Amino acid sequence: MTSQADDLRERLAPASVDEAAAMVRERAESGATFAFAGGGTELALGYEPERVDALLETTRLDRVVEYAPSDMVVSVEAGMTLAALQTTLAPQRQRLALDPALPERATIGGLLATNAFGPLRTRYGTLRDLIVGITIVRADGTLARGGGKVVKNVAGFDLPKLMVGSLGSLGLIVRATFRLHPMPERERWYEAGGLTAEGVRALCRSLIARRLEPAAVFARLEPGGSHYALAVLFEGFETGVDAQGASWLESANAAGAQIVDAGPEGVRIAAGAAHPRGPVRIRISVPPAAFVETHRDAVLPLGDCFEAECVAYPTTGTFLLGGFVRDGAGSRAVATIAAARAACEALGGSLVVADMDAALRGSVDPYGTLPQSFPIMRRLKERFDPGRRFNRGRFLGRL
Amino acid sequence: MTVTTASPGIERELSDIVGAANCIVDPGELRTYECDGLTGTRVRPRVVVLPATTEETAAVVRVARRYGLPIVPRGAGTGLSGGALPVAGCIVIGLSRMKRILAIDLENQRMRVQPGVINLDVSRAIAADGYYYAPDPSSQSICSIGGNIAENSGGAHCLKYGFTVNHVVGATIVTAEGEIVELGSAGADPLGYDLMAVLVGSEGLVGIVTEAVVRILRTPEATRTFFATFPSTDEAGACVSGIVAAGIVPAAVEMMDRLAIEAIVKATGVDWPLDVGAALLIDVDGTAAEADHTATRAVEIAQLSGALEVRTPRDARERQLMWKGRKSAFAAVGRISPNYYVQDGVIPRSEIGPVLREIAAAGARAGLRVANVFHAGDGNLHPLVLFDARVEGEEHAAEQVAGEILKICVRHGGSITGEHGVGADKAAYMGEIFNEADLETMNFVRCAFDPAVAFNPGKVFPTPRLCGDRPGTYVAHETEIAGTAGRG
Repeated sequence: MTSQADDLRERLAPASVDEAAAMVRERAESGATFAFAGGGTELALGYEPERVDALLETTRLDRVVEYAPSDMVVSVEAGMTLAALQTTLAPQRQRLALDPALPERATIGGLLATNAFGPLRTRYGTLRDLIVGITIVRADGTLARGGGKVVKNVAGFDLPKLMVGSLGSLGLIVRATFRLHPMPERERWYEAGGLTAEGVRALCRSLIARRLEPAAVFARLEPGGSHYALAVLFEGFETGVDAQGASWLESANAAGAQIVDAGPEGVRIAAGAAHPRGPVRIRISVPPAAFVETHRDAVLPLGDCFEAECVAYPTTGTFLLGGFVRDGAGSRAVATIAAARAACEALGGSLVVADMDAALRGSVDPYGTLPQSFPIMRRLKERFDPGRRFNRGRFLGRL
Repeated sequence: MTVTTASPGIERELSDIVGAANCIVDPGELRTYECDGLTGTRVRPRVVVLPATTEETAAVVRVARRYGLPIVPRGAGTGLSGGALPVAGCIVIGLSRMKRILAIDLENQRMRVQPGVINLDVSRAIAADGYYYAPDPSSQSICSIGGNIAENSGGAHCLKYGFTVNHVVGATIVTAEGEIVELGSAGADPLGYDLMAVLVGSEGLVGIVTEAVVRILRTPEATRTFFATFPSTDEAGACVSGIVAAGIVPAAVEMMDRLAIEAIVKATGVDWPLDVGAALLIDVDGTAAEADHTATRAVEIAQLSGALEVRTPRDARERQLMWKGRKSAFAAVGRISPNYYVQDGVIPRSEIGPVLREIAAAGARAGLRVANVFHAGDGNLHPLVLFDARVEGEEHAAEQVAGEILKICVRHGGSITGEHGVGADKAAYMGEIFNEADLETMNFVRCAFDPAVAFNPGKVFPTPRLCGDRPGTYVAHETEIAGTAGRG
């Protein structure tokens, strides 16, 4: 981001939580503004910050603070990558049940700040469902904690969840504690191709009707842009997984889908396919029952304009698109995004442009219509960061 | 805040909004509202108002604010932490008349309900379709959704399925200014800060919920239940750890100690053995194949951990009886002791054995018995300190033991409350787990919603806290001032 580089006076890389707090505190008097970076995988999310005096990188805050395998809880510093965390947990056959893009680079703090997710949200939810404690550096340089290190805890306001998705605008996340899940004995992906949007929705309904409990469900738009391949992951103990797989195959066959039993190898293949990348990335959130309408009124028009991969998580009503503007479609791109957004908002959802190329930036709003509760959000920002020192102007409503 | 001396004008204005029948000022009738499930402390409110709609609630809040009355929201009044305890001169806004189910959307697995709807009635309304609402506090047949949201209620099955905060996705609230605001969205990822996460568990400090959107789940294909007895809580604790270490996430793992078992047997007539040190009641669920497999493994682990006996219910009726025994435990303890004090501390699961021994010792030192019946899977203890209020000094001693129990939990890395809330009861213990900066930061949240501290004063925070002016000058962006930011 060029304007960041223009203002940027210093790059900071604290080696400890206390040092991070001191760096913020020492610069409080001067009113210096901060931007934060972990692995740098989602720096484009939100508006471009208005002014960045200091870029604070969390990558040296990479320690495991406490790991209690028998309690299935882990506390880590924010700069640790997700892959490094999973490596720590693997010998105990435990994991953080989260599968976002780029785990080798993405850090815990960045994942929390951007509320990153992957297909496992089907069963395990998002980071808000996994976090149990947090430590932040406030804009005045004070360290503050919320939650704790037990999974069940209702003491005080839920600061950990409030920080999820807050894009570093309320505080710098320096430590977090998570509940963990057991690594399954068996994982098995199945894929059914050649499905229309109606077909995807129907198969998802049959999953529910059959009381199957997939850990992940995602649909990839096939080349041509009109049909989907639906990937389903069952995991758990061997007998349970096999029984669910058999039931699912029966259901998919009855729907006339082309079945690919992705087998054990499929795990690796599928995980890579669930996160479309590209210079333009769009995230749509709608009610799950609006799958067909969203496909028709948002995905198809966007596909005319963008050479993009599209992955949908049909059980949660999430669509992710990643790609670039087609040759000659540049002039239509802004209007197409606006129309797709209007369609999603009419369904009660939203369309976020998570990343965009230079041509679109400035003409396309990342978020769309502000929610009715926005005045409360502004007051939260005012209380936590009255000088707007943290990620100034980057979050929703240019907070 | 300027406090105007209350005049009959207030009551007249309030009855104009809700009708005279729903504006309670009679001292006899007000007695019902002097406390919630925490009956030891009572404060008579000035007036109780029972609105029927969101608009009425908003109008009532505006009147109360104009007269400077503190506002205490109240659900079904079953809370155990004094979250609905009135403060002197306050208005209690009771949501018990708002008990309609507004919409059932099976396709999106959501339901919109009013706050006075009883927890169990949510599940009942969709049971025939094969769906249910997961959070199941033991009081689920009498507690309401609005109160569940305020306290972020848990229950036996939150070990696998999460708490109220994981299952309430939207809400209509009335703010301290008397405005009506929608939180959450129809999509899974609302824009902006996660205000639902703040609302759920905020103990009536940030807004009054007048409608809630809850997530409903498909009933699992199979649930397998078993009941196992052990020589002591140590073996039972080891069994819990063993099950978890085997990669099993049970739907529920409940533990009862000798005294709790005795109380339950006396009260319900269930045929549990009395000569055991502890018992576990365990549910595993999922698809039939998965549930059968995990139940078999869990029973093996129970036997390896030294179980004296393992019982499996023969049918749904027997299963229901087992759970009825567990869920009636608090009431049952009332049969073996005239009074008791409930605690709600949380500890890391692996510490169950040592902590229970410390708790028993603390009780013994004070000459009091402590019964334990609790959610062992997530380490959420419910020690019941038994006492007789007629005996001089026993109530005070019980309170002391209860406080000591919280400190034991904190020493072992836990929390002072897992599901009952801080309320008025445990506000003084917040300083055991949070420092001044932590509490100040939580107060930022409250002040963003209610800068005048009109909602539920005296709860959660250990010392009264005001919001004061905004700390420093807020630097607004010009587009924000113009109101154009973020419009796409």
